[in-house]
Amino acid sequence: MNELMVMTQIAGRRCALPAHDVKSVIELSTITPVPQTPEFIAGITAMRSQALTVIDCRLTLGFEQTDWETDNRAAVISIGGHFYALLIDAIEDITTTTGEPGQVSGGFGPEWSRVAKGMIETASGPALLIDLHALIAGPDERLTGSLNAAA
Amino acid sequence: MDDLLADFVAETREMLEASEGEIVAWEADPADSARLDTIFRFVHTVKGNCGFFDFPRLAGLSHAAEDALADCRAGRRKPDSALVTAVLAIVDRISAMVDAIEAGEDFPEGGDEALIAALGNDKDTEDLSFEELKDAGQGSAVEPVSPGSDDIAAEGDAPKKADTSPAVQRSIRLPVDLLDRVMSGVSDMVLARNDLGHRLRQAGNQPTIDGPFERLTTILSDVRDAITRMRMQRIETLFSALPRLVRDLSAELGKQVMIDLEGGDVELDREMVEMVRDPLTHIIRNAIDHGIETPSARLKDGKREIGLLSIAARQSGNTISIVVSDDGRGLDEARIATKAVETGLITASQRAEMSREKVLQLIFEPGFSTADTVSNVSGRGVGLDVVRDNLEKVGGSIKVSSQPGIGTLFTLQIPLTLSIIAGLTVEVGDQRFAIPQSYIEEIIHASAKALDFTRVGETALVTFRGDRVPCLMLSEVLALDHSEIEEDQHTMVLLRLASGDLFALAVERIHSHGDLVVKPLAPAVMKSEIYAGSSLLDNGQPILLLDVTNIASRYGLVSDARTRVREIGDDVIAADRHQVSRAMLFTDFSNRRCAVRLELVKRIETAPASAIDLSGARPRAVIDGMILPVVGLPEGQIPTEKVRLLRLSDGECELLHAVREIDDAVELPGMLKPERDDPLIEAIALIEGSTVALMDGHELFTRHGEPPEPLARPLCRIPSDDWSRTILAPLVVSAGYEIVDGDEDHGDSENAVRVVFVEESSAASEKGDGSVIRLRSELDAGDGDGSIYRYDREALMSALKEARSAGGLIR
Repeated sequence: MNELMVMTQIAGRRCALPAHDVKSVIELSTITPVPQTPEFIAGITAMRSQALTVIDCRLTLGFEQTDWETDNRAAVISIGGHFYALLIDAIEDITTTTGEPGQVSGGFGPEWSRVAKGMIETASGPALLIDLHALIAGPDERLTGSLNAAA
Repeated sequence: MDDLLADFVAETREMLEASEGEIVAWEADPADSARLDTIFRFVHTVKGNCGFFDFPRLAGLSHAAEDALADCRAGRRKPDSALVTAVLAIVDRISAMVDAIEAGEDFPEGGDEALIAALGNDKDTEDLSFEELKDAGQGSAVEPVSPGSDDIAAEGDAPKKADTSPAVQRSIRLPVDLLDRVMSGVSDMVLARNDLGHRLRQAGNQPTIDGPFERLTTILSDVRDAITRMRMQRIETLFSALPRLVRDLSAELGKQVMIDLEGGDVELDREMVEMVRDPLTHIIRNAIDHGIETPSARLKDGKREIGLLSIAARQSGNTISIVVSDDGRGLDEARIATKAVETGLITASQRAEMSREKVLQLIFEPGFSTADTVSNVSGRGVGLDVVRDNLEKVGGSIKVSSQPGIGTLFTLQIPLTLSIIAGLTVEVGDQRFAIPQSYIEEIIHASAKALDFTRVGETALVTFRGDRVPCLMLSEVLALDHSEIEEDQHTMVLLRLASGDLFALAVERIHSHGDLVVKPLAPAVMKSEIYAGSSLLDNGQPILLLDVTNIASRYGLVSDARTRVREIGDDVIAADRHQVSRAMLFTDFSNRRCAVRLELVKRIETAPASAIDLSGARPRAVIDGMILPVVGLPEGQIPTEKVRLLRLSDGECELLHAVREIDDAVELPGMLKPERDDPLIEAIALIEGSTVALMDGHELFTRHGEPPEPLARPLCRIPSDDWSRTILAPLVVSAGYEIVDGDEDHGDSENAVRVVFVEESSAASEKGDGSVIRLRSELDAGDGDGSIYRYDREALMSALKEARSAGGLIR
């Protein structure tokens, strides 16, 4: 209840990132590409003396890069001691939640279900609460995950 | 030897401290096998170490304790309080003896037998009473330990310590994570400085800022050096003890072993050195005891009598790999498997599904030993499991590979907690990547004729020192677009892996050498197994560090134990059989075909013509921060933009020989025609149908050889007025000088170049033997007295440059 959320647009949808996890919002300048890595890793970039891994959120969800515009801003998060810059469409606002995350019958669609913790009601309307671990894991995670479960 | 002894004392103490708690706990519950293991390892290590140092009494005590404990571990004996007491008495005695060793005193004779007897290895323990034990412990430290006492080990330690206060170097102990924090703070500071430096360069020359910035840079690099030294130690300190260890062990076991050490200059964390010490010693012991056969057995198998043990260290990104290989009998897969099934480590059905490699890794399981006989050296099932535990504790790993009858190869990977490494920046497809310097054997421009780039099937090959070496195109490895540069016009970076394999990596351009602060990459990026980390360039751009070892193994360029060991053996044999002299062929600037003995050539360097200082009496160049004399330059201007230089070394002195073109390494013919007319020519040789002048190394070094001189900035003393400080000083600094303040009287500034004003100059300011540059304030005044108008930049700069090469350079 009443947690701060960073409201963002990812692939045209409104998503909520827990404000506690977002270290800062940066303007992406040059991104150094990293060859031979999955496509959703846009590259690495520097914030102060820190190297950030840039994750293209449209690609990690499985959408086409060209379908959505981005304003080149990124939310910086830290997972497992590593810093990531999430390249998203736009950052809208910071707002508070007005309820607990809940599920919607029928799910959120194949692309979204993997990264969604559920729907969350906020002061500025409903949004999809994003699971950051799942988001940075990339689109292959579910596939390999189910393979592992089968093995 | 004193160092080693100090290490031994410190190590034993440390282990004693660490096992203190365990001993107390074991006493409370003698049946606790985990505690038993810890204490067992302690006595085992002490036994091993003192065998090395020739402390027979310590060895005797620890061996006896080990025997008793081994019986307990094997279940042949039930630990009871009498045994615990006896073992503890021995542990205390060891501690007291170690104190005596450190103080350099003799430990009172006798008493050991009674302590050993108290263990009751052969007879019934009940026979012994506490009283006997007390009598036995003549040494002040040995007291019977009453069960439940809290500080058993301390009792042994304390009384002795109080009266031994040898002059020890003052030191304090700090938690490592504090050092880590300081270190990463300094690393970030370096990056921030680089960023600031970049911005300053963009903003143009700003004398008021540049001065303090220079100072900041110097201070920062000093601090960084100090911090790095605080944590880093060359692995040599570890290696230096090994030849002796190998010698003693092989003598004891009646074997002949030769040791080959490589990569001693790899630096790693002081703490890591300590962590590796034990594992490495254990592996070497095992290799000599179990791996390498007796000379007669070796001869029977058609091997050379002398076994070869080679240990190589390499740094790659955030890890150091140490490869220990021997050419002994190798690991017996079947025996390991049988033993593992017998001891219940695996089931027979599991065995059936396991690959050879998996079976071999079983030797790292606790309680595993295939040795039939227990010797004084190794083989009690303690060792490899401890090795693995210790390595894994610090985030390292160990692997083994082996070929029956041919050899065994252990690969240890240890992480570096901090990482500033020397790296080379290369470019391919408009993107830059870094390669750790430690892998680089040589850089060859592909235009060199000798390289002979060819494709056999899909595999690219280059010729390096007469051998065909596989070549990877970096653009292919990274799946980048093919560049406009022709395939055979790439620059080749020859890389040598820790396993000894050599391969070439083709890149488009070489950028710079420099220190890189390596930071770990996100797991998703690491998964590609191409990168070892990331770093930031001076301009703040991130750069990826290539993981050379993984790239090589992806392309199957890492050989297994067999080829590695074979290669060395053959080389040695070849060297034994006949001495072939080889020489490096080159064309000098007067288009003469010349050769120089290959042994003299340390490296081939390429330097821009501007890096060669022609202004002095002898031309000089700066390579890797060293000032070296250059010979073989043409008269007048250097015709090419870049000059190829052969870096020759006689082991102590070095010189650079400029050449027009480098040809190839060739074998010298047996017949050489001595040349008498030109002292610089040793002989004329006939190579490939034409005559070649072989340079006389002796004469070359007599005339030009100098010990390499570290590049130090010459000093310049300037007047102490405002004008000099704000306007003159930056100019002098940019001319490559270090400023000495006019008033300070440094002892070493005698030779400093001095800048004085004609108007103010006095006899006093002109003392000293360095050059003097005289300035005048008025444009027209004082013509003809050799002074320079203070705003005549050109004249001032050239005077500074001249003074530098004349006197300032040689301090």
